[in-house]
Amino acid sequence: MSKSLEQSFVKQLQENQNIIHKICRLYTNDDDAHKDLFQEITIQLWKAFPKFRGDSKFSTWAYRVALNTAITLYRKTKRSINTVEFEGRQHFLNDVEYDYEEEEQLKLMYKAVYQLNDIEKALIFMYLEDKDYHEISETLGISEVNARVKMNRIKGKLKKILNPLGI
Amino acid sequence: MKELDLLKKDWQKSDNTFVQVSENDIYIMIHKRSSSIVKWILIISILEVLLWTLLSLFSNSDDYLREIKHVELIPYFDALTYVNYAVILIFIYQFYKNYILISTTTSTKKLMQDILKTRCTVQYYVWYNLGMIVIYTIIAFTVAFIYNPQMEVLKEKIASNSNVMIITVGVLFLTSLLFFGLFWLFYRVVYGILLRKLFINYKELKKIDL
Repeated sequence: MSKSLEQSFVKQLQENQNIIHKICRLYTNDDDAHKDLFQEITIQLWKAFPKFRGDSKFSTWAYRVALNTAITLYRKTKRSINTVEFEGRQHFLNDVEYDYEEEEQLKLMYKAVYQLNDIEKALIFMYLEDKDYHEISETLGISEVNARVKMNRIKGKLKKILNPLGI
Repeated sequence: MKELDLLKKDWQKSDNTFVQVSENDIYIMIHKRSSSIVKWILIISILEVLLWTLLSLFSNSDDYLREIKHVELIPYFDALTYVNYAVILIFIYQFYKNYILISTTTSTKKLMQDILKTRCTVQYYVWYNLGMIVIYTIIAFTVAFIYNPQMEVLKEKIASNSNVMIITVGVLFLTSLLFFGLFWLFYRVVYGILLRKLFINYKELKKIDL
């Protein structure tokens, strides 16, 4: 592939790398795996780059390839964090009515998101990135109505993880 | 859900929390090799097709037919061989066609379907070969039974005791079954490891649209 294509790709990826980092953060749980997935996504993006015609933003195009790589092509199995310490959860339950530290709440929320499966993570990712349901449904290849239904279920699941007793 | 709103706010301002990769690093990365499952499927598929093609190329029945002095059967076996070559070519073409369709820019579901389709082509090819082996074995056995003088002993035995026929067919049947069983196990292990994640995610994705 030509040098100028390579230059253009490297420049655009460098500028838009945070979107890839966000996906890596969601799908891996240590630095090495993060770097490994980042590299695989970069390779896949580069392979697909000749087909990128620039009629959408680079970041919009890149996140789809990145998600597909994380969900489907990336081979290394990651150990998911399934151990939310009971004490931590209890603590949260007791203090939730009071003014709880945002920081702590966020930590729990991130932990809860980690417990979702790959597809649910993809939906949450797109939700956090403010993608509309039309785009979510097109990216995953599901219907728009069902994308909405699934998103509501995921919210329910997150609630349950955060508050398993339903208090 | 207020926790989710909180997460969204934090998520959208988290851009500066990542260690930035330099342009130079990206240059290095794009020249590295992919370790994706598609690549592994390609490698394994090529090996499989090569192995089975070589096996069918080297299995030569002509010498045997000459040995038992029935050269008139050679054209029939040759015809079977040509059919086999045609089938190999069709499979390779199908595999290539499916393989180039795999693209990371389509939807996740389509990508998964395309990968599975490519995989299936090779699997059919292997099953085809296994089927051919069974057919060849049956033909070889029949030819040997009818034309090979060494088989006279067996024929006499069958004539005197009908159980011998049942035992012979039974042994052949069990051998083929064992053969298929071993391959099935091999496939379960190799593709179980390689495609486990894909299958789980594909099922999950299909469940959403049910």
